[in-house]
Amino acid sequence: MATQHGFMDPTAGSGEARIAPAPRPMDLAGKIVGLLDNTKEQGELILQTLGQALRERHGVARVVIRRKEHYSKPAAEAIISQMANEVQVAIAAVGG
Amino acid sequence: MTDATDEFEFFLQKQWSDGLPVVTPTDERIAWMLKGTRRDPEEIIGRVPPALGIATVRSVAIHALMAGCKPEYLPVVLGALALMLREEFNMNGVQGTMHGVAPLMIVSGPYARQIGIHGGNGCFGPSFRANATIGRAVRLMMLNLGGGIPGIASATIFATPLRYTACLAENLERSPWDSLAVSRGYRSDDNVITCAMVESPRLCFDDVSEEPQRLLNGIADSMVAMGSWNMHARSDMVVAMGPQHAALCSGAGMSRAAVHRRLCELAGRKVRDLRDGGNWRRERALAFPIAVDPDDDDCFIPAIKDPQDLHLVVAGGWGPCTAVCHGWSGGSRAVHGTYET
Repeated sequence: MATQHGFMDPTAGSGEARIAPAPRPMDLAGKIVGLLDNTKEQGELILQTLGQALRERHGVARVVIRRKEHYSKPAAEAIISQMANEVQVAIAAVGG
Repeated sequence: MTDATDEFEFFLQKQWSDGLPVVTPTDERIAWMLKGTRRDPEEIIGRVPPALGIATVRSVAIHALMAGCKPEYLPVVLGALALMLREEFNMNGVQGTMHGVAPLMIVSGPYARQIGIHGGNGCFGPSFRANATIGRAVRLMMLNLGGGIPGIASATIFATPLRYTACLAENLERSPWDSLAVSRGYRSDDNVITCAMVESPRLCFDDVSEEPQRLLNGIADSMVAMGSWNMHARSDMVVAMGPQHAALCSGAGMSRAAVHRRLCELAGRKVRDLRDGGNWRRERALAFPIAVDPDDDDCFIPAIKDPQDLHLVVAGGWGPCTAVCHGWSGGSRAVHGTYET
C-alpha cells in the first residue's frame, strides 16, 4: 500500500488485527481464579501468596495454579483451554 | 521537498526504521529488489512474533531494500527469516526478553562468498555492505512486523549493538579446518545459515601462548563470567576463533572437533566460585539438562551444557585474538539450514 507520498508502507498487509480484551469482572467474590505460573524462580511463592490474599480479602472461592513450559514461550494450547474451562478469571504472570 | 514530505524524515517519524535513515521503498525500487529471487512475491514466509505481522516475499524485499541490500542479498534474508521463525528458535521470547541478545547469522557456502559476506578482518563491524545490510534487514522486520521495539514489545534493558546488524561469514581462506556447516554434516557447496541468540562479542587476546592448552585456558576463561547466562542455564555460545589462534591449535595437531571438545571441558566454574556473585541460584542449577550437585562446592558447572550449543567458527583477521559471544537463557535453540539461491 502506497502512502500519500508514494512510498510503500513496509507494514502493509502484515495482518494487523484488533483483539478485544476479555470482559473484566466487577468483583471476584465466589469466583474461581486461575493463576498461570511462568516458571520464573520463586514465582510460585508470589502466586501462592497472591492466591491466599485473593481468597481472604476478595472472597475468591478457589484458586487454580497452573505452570507453563517456559517463561519465554507462550502457554501451550492445552493449558489455555484447560484453564478456560476451569476458571472464571485467569491471571498470567509476567516478568521475574 | 518540504520537511513534511522529506522521505528520510517521513520513515523516521513513522518509526519504520532502526533510528537510521532507510532507502525509501518505491514501486520501482521494490521491483528491482524482487529481481533477487524467483519466488512468488505473495508467498508467505511466516508471522513475526509477538505482533505476528505476516512476512511475505514482497515485504521481506521491502525491508531488504530499506536496509540497503542489493537484490542478490535477498535469498539470504529470506532464508534467515524462515530459519528464525522456527519454533525452537523462540522468536517470541527473543523479541520480548530483558536480555540484550540478537540473532547472529553465520553464513556458509559458495553463495555467501559470491555476494561478499565478509568473515575476515573486521567482520563484526562496519564497512561491509552485505554484513551490514542483511542483518539490518532482519532487524527492521523484527521491529516493523514483529513489534520488538523497546518500551513496546521489548523489555530489553540494554539491547546490544548487534541489534543493528549481526551477520558474518567464516574466514575459510585462513581457516585450517572445514566450515561450521560441514562440521554439522552439510556439503561444502551447500549454502547454509546458522543463527544463534548471542550477546556482543567480548575479545580474548593472547599473544603469549605457544601451545593450545594455555591458549584454550584463556579462551575458556572468557566463556565463564558469573553474570553470563551460560553459567546459569542451557545457552548457546559462539566462539569465533581468530585464524592465528586456530593455526596454533591446528599446528599442534588439533582438529576442529578436538578444540570444540577441549573448550567444553575447560569452560566452567566450581559451585564455590559461582555462589560469590552473578546469577547463581540453587534451583536454576537443579533445572540444568545435566546432573550437577548445587550443594557440592567442588561440583564443576560447565558453560556449555550440551556440546551442540557451542558454535565454533574461524573468523576475523590475522592477529592474536578470539571473539566469544555469550548466549541467552530464554529457551532459544540455535537453528541451521540451507537456503534457496
